[in-house]
Amino acid sequence: MSKGKIVSIHSFRGGTGKSNTTANLAAQVALTGKRVGVVDTDIQSPGIHVLFGLDETKMGKTLNDFLHDKASIREVGFQVGENTGDAEGRAKLAGKNLWLFPSSIRGREISQILKEGIDFNRLNEGLQSTITEFDLDYLFIDTHPGLNEETLLSIATSDILIIILRPDNQDIQGTSVTVDIARSLDVPNLLLMVNKALPKYDFQTIKNDIESKFNAPVAGILPLSFDLADNASQDLFSLKYPDHAWSTALRGVASAILALE
Amino acid sequence: MIHQDILDFLRKTSVFKGLSDDLLRTLTESAMPRILAAGETLIKKGEVGNSLFIISQGWVKIVTEDSKGDELILNKCGAGEVIGEMSLFDSGLRSASVIALEAAQVLEISRAIFMDVLDKNPEVGFAIILSYSDRLRHNTTYIEKAIDWSQKTAAGDYSFIEATQPLSVGAGASDDKATELLSAFFTMVRKVKEREDGLKKQLEQLTFEIDQTRRKQDFEEITSTEFYANLKEQARTLRQKRNQS
Repeated sequence: MSKGKIVSIHSFRGGTGKSNTTANLAAQVALTGKRVGVVDTDIQSPGIHVLFGLDETKMGKTLNDFLHDKASIREVGFQVGENTGDAEGRAKLAGKNLWLFPSSIRGREISQILKEGIDFNRLNEGLQSTITEFDLDYLFIDTHPGLNEETLLSIATSDILIIILRPDNQDIQGTSVTVDIARSLDVPNLLLMVNKALPKYDFQTIKNDIESKFNAPVAGILPLSFDLADNASQDLFSLKYPDHAWSTALRGVASAILALE
Repeated sequence: MIHQDILDFLRKTSVFKGLSDDLLRTLTESAMPRILAAGETLIKKGEVGNSLFIISQGWVKIVTEDSKGDELILNKCGAGEVIGEMSLFDSGLRSASVIALEAAQVLEISRAIFMDVLDKNPEVGFAIILSYSDRLRHNTTYIEKAIDWSQKTAAGDYSFIEATQPLSVGAGASDDKATELLSAFFTMVRKVKEREDGLKKQLEQLTFEIDQTRRKQDFEEITSTEFYANLKEQARTLRQKRNQS
């Protein structure tokens, strides 16, 4: 087995805080000294680059260029630790080994790749060579919500799949299907993460209920936070506000990832 | 009623608590005893207040009117209680009426008498300032406590309820509004916590339901495609390869 682990972050519906969670998890793991990559395979609606301080003007080669054989994976990697900008949270990543592999935010390129579809082998090769070339310990994949083809591809290649859900029946229903798919595709490690839980709920009860329903561990229950919404994706929240309840719970999920062999 | 009792009553008030027995005696000796018949009005709401009253016998009621003009009893006071101490300093309007509930006796100390005593015994003024600064200090401590509790409550930390139980029991001396406030605050937080706990219990019963038929249908819809069959095959090969390397 290759050294680097592929960690896919998925949610059945949009709005679960998936990109935010992925970015913060990757940052927390990178803080521990691990070599970490983040791939945005949400090619329909990319967004994670904003959290890493990358905007359209700074964006160079993208995953789309790689998938179309127009760029090497080395050219696509954006070294977050060397480009932290003014953001207080991101500044803590200075000198850390964290790369972002962004998806194109150009509409034409998005529609082109959606029309053509992504080739499993090409994507898989890309992910594997990303791990090899950057000598990564972890490669996080931010997927598109739902179970479309590119998301199924990401799940199929994962060593660890993290499913994010909100504590409501619609998310639970969708998650049940994703859990079945992950098991059908033999994903070795499955972790659930509950986000946007109203603080008035009893978190332990939610955890027990969900774990027994899916027979899978819940790595963390993160509270719904107006502070997080207020941050408006300007910075990496768990780095900027490490003592916040959301950040503490998120670090718990990062530890659960690090604990998996 | 003997004078010693009256001295004890006065000593309990925040105004006179710092005064020596001699000075308190001077004050009470100048006080005017008044006999009230049942139903007689001692103080009328809205009047300018110029006297302090010590109830030496019987019961009075402190009343105001509700929005319809009906009598609303705010409190009942009996022997030993002191009414209207602030009117010795200011000429504020009486905030409520005081009516005898039965035949009662009160001792009146008018501002004129008080000022006279003050003129002849300047140390009375100093003793009063001392007792007020003491009171202020006490109030500040309680206000700080209230701020601390408010912040803790806002953060959902109710641990102080357990730690503070004995304090609330002793609270509520009628002339100590700071203690009363803190006691009311404490009761409020305890009730808020009880409600919150109740709500939590209700929510604990909130369970999630999975529609297993739909789950199966959705799963079959996704996995029945040729794409999926290929993907599953490719994924299997990939994992085998990774496990071997």
